[in-house]
Amino acid sequence: MASALSLNRLTKRFGSLTAVDSFSLEVERGTIFALLGPNGAGKTTIIRILTTLLRPDAGTAQVEGFDVQQQGKEVRRLIGVVPQENNLDRYLTARENLVMQARLHGMGAAETSRRVDELLELVGLSGRRNDFPDTFSGGMQRRLVVARALVHRPRVLFLDEPTTGLDPQSRRAVWEYVESLKDSMTIFLTTHYMDEADALCDRIVIMDHGRLLVDGSAARLKERMAHAHCYEMQFRANADRYEAILAGLPFVRSLQRTGDLFRLSLAGEEFLKPLMDAVGTDDIRKVCPREPTLEDVFIELTGREVRE
Amino acid sequence: MFKGAFSIWKRDMLVLRRSLFSELVAVVASPLTFYLAFGFGLKGYIANVEGVPYTVFMAPGLITMTAVSAAFDESAWSMWFHRKVQRTIEAYRVTPITVYDIVIGKIISGFTQGALKGVAVATVIFLLTGVRFDPAHLAGYLAFIALGSMVFSCAGTVCGTLMDKPETIGKVQAVVIMPLIFLSGVFFPVSSYPEAMRAAVMAIPTTALFEGSRRALLAGSFDGGLIAILAVTALIAFTVTVAIFNRKMAE
Ligand SMILES: Nc1ncnc2c1ncn2[C@@H]1O[C@H](COP(=O)(O)OP(=O)(O)O)[C@@H](O)[C@H]1O
Ligand SMILES: [Mg+2]
Repeated sequence: MASALSLNRLTKRFGSLTAVDSFSLEVERGTIFALLGPNGAGKTTIIRILTTLLRPDAGTAQVEGFDVQQQGKEVRRLIGVVPQENNLDRYLTARENLVMQARLHGMGAAETSRRVDELLELVGLSGRRNDFPDTFSGGMQRRLVVARALVHRPRVLFLDEPTTGLDPQSRRAVWEYVESLKDSMTIFLTTHYMDEADALCDRIVIMDHGRLLVDGSAARLKERMAHAHCYEMQFRANADRYEAILAGLPFVRSLQRTGDLFRLSLAGEEFLKPLMDAVGTDDIRKVCPREPTLEDVFIELTGREVRE
Repeated sequence: MFKGAFSIWKRDMLVLRRSLFSELVAVVASPLTFYLAFGFGLKGYIANVEGVPYTVFMAPGLITMTAVSAAFDESAWSMWFHRKVQRTIEAYRVTPITVYDIVIGKIISGFTQGALKGVAVATVIFLLTGVRFDPAHLAGYLAFIALGSMVFSCAGTVCGTLMDKPETIGKVQAVVIMPLIFLSGVFFPVSSYPEAMRAAVMAIPTTALFEGSRRALLAGSFDGGLIAILAVTALIAFTVTVAIFNRKMAE
């Protein structure tokens, strides 16, 4: 029983919509696991089932060997949850929010006090311990929610888009904490940020429409893409016109633009020449092959870009 | 057992303590206005009711009304707020406590607010107006208030659990709670109803509450039949509320 999480043909329907479709997964203890998928893929629904908030319609799931439906209380003893939307108590101070969590986990007063102060220190909120969360920035609130999820030293930590909507600095801060927890627990997170999943996670699963699309490490996923032909193109001028041309080419599988820089993948190597014929050489500043990123894998598999 | 409920109740009391003074001022304002307007403004037009001056007659009803509507309001809005607005209910639900802890904690919080606010209004009415009651009558009166607050706290919890829109809760207050309270004898005795209707009206739990509590306070007569109606209602309300909340959470 080395699995921290074990999902077996898990299914959840909302009316006619199947949000999670016969989803099976094993997550080993001590891994940082990322679930990637576009909006509406079913990530939050899976987390809600695993954290006993939602009943599956079919299939089973175990957390640390405990069944989420039959042994909810045992499961909840072992998990920490950072939900997609902050659900702090705005009538309690930062410190009181954490103390409340400790009480609900039946922790004693002395231990609570020690643990809460230690966590406030860790997330850099010691100085604001007696302030109310609605006076905090988004990043500070998020850090407080993370701290709250850690009060009782969970064995499995669920993070539902922990950094979405945060500025880069706060994002980095949250990820640093997550990284520092690596050895003491299993971490299950969902994110839109490929780079972070890439940098942080041992294992990545991409899903869409409630189904698992691909499973592996970041390196393995990129390997799968090795046959995909990714290029970067930059133009000196008329970027808009070139965007229209590129978008119209049948062999361009995906296209992303940042300013005058385009990243695209081709259906095969043999299409490089037709590509160059189509755009000409007048305005080209550079064309170069490029390592596929997780983002490319994602687009390749889901046909969609990942947006926040 | 129910340590979780106790933690939730303690949290609610901590928050209440922070705004206690303004809460109490706000809750005293409306019954006091009724008291002054009806009790003194209409004094010359209203003779003694059931043998006591009208100002004395209406005092117990006003206190009871304050207690039970505070219990309803607190329970309904608090449950709605914690469920829909700040979603703290969900934060509670991923800890080892059970849904029973949550709903029981919330019911007791509403009940406590009702009781506290009732006492505040009673104190003010007693101090300001010189209405005096025999302290020996108090125990019986409090029994009615406690059960009444429990019933209304449960009703509020059900509204806060089932209603997603705040307007709906507002409508229930206006269309169900207020009429129920006013027609159950806050301002007039049940003997004002036609003979034929009286028995039926008395069987309504809120009438049992207002009539029973008034008789207990004014005359010191503890009506076992009325308290039984109320106790059974409270028990049923509690069971039903816990079941409804449990079901809603399992959706
Ligand atoms: N309570 C609900 N009622 C109806 N549909 C829902 C509910 N929760 C989620 N859904 C639907 O289920 C699908 C998956 O949602 P979700 O798990 O939140 O996706 P993700 O977190 O990957 O963005 C979406 O199409 C969403 O609209
Ligand atoms: Mg989501």
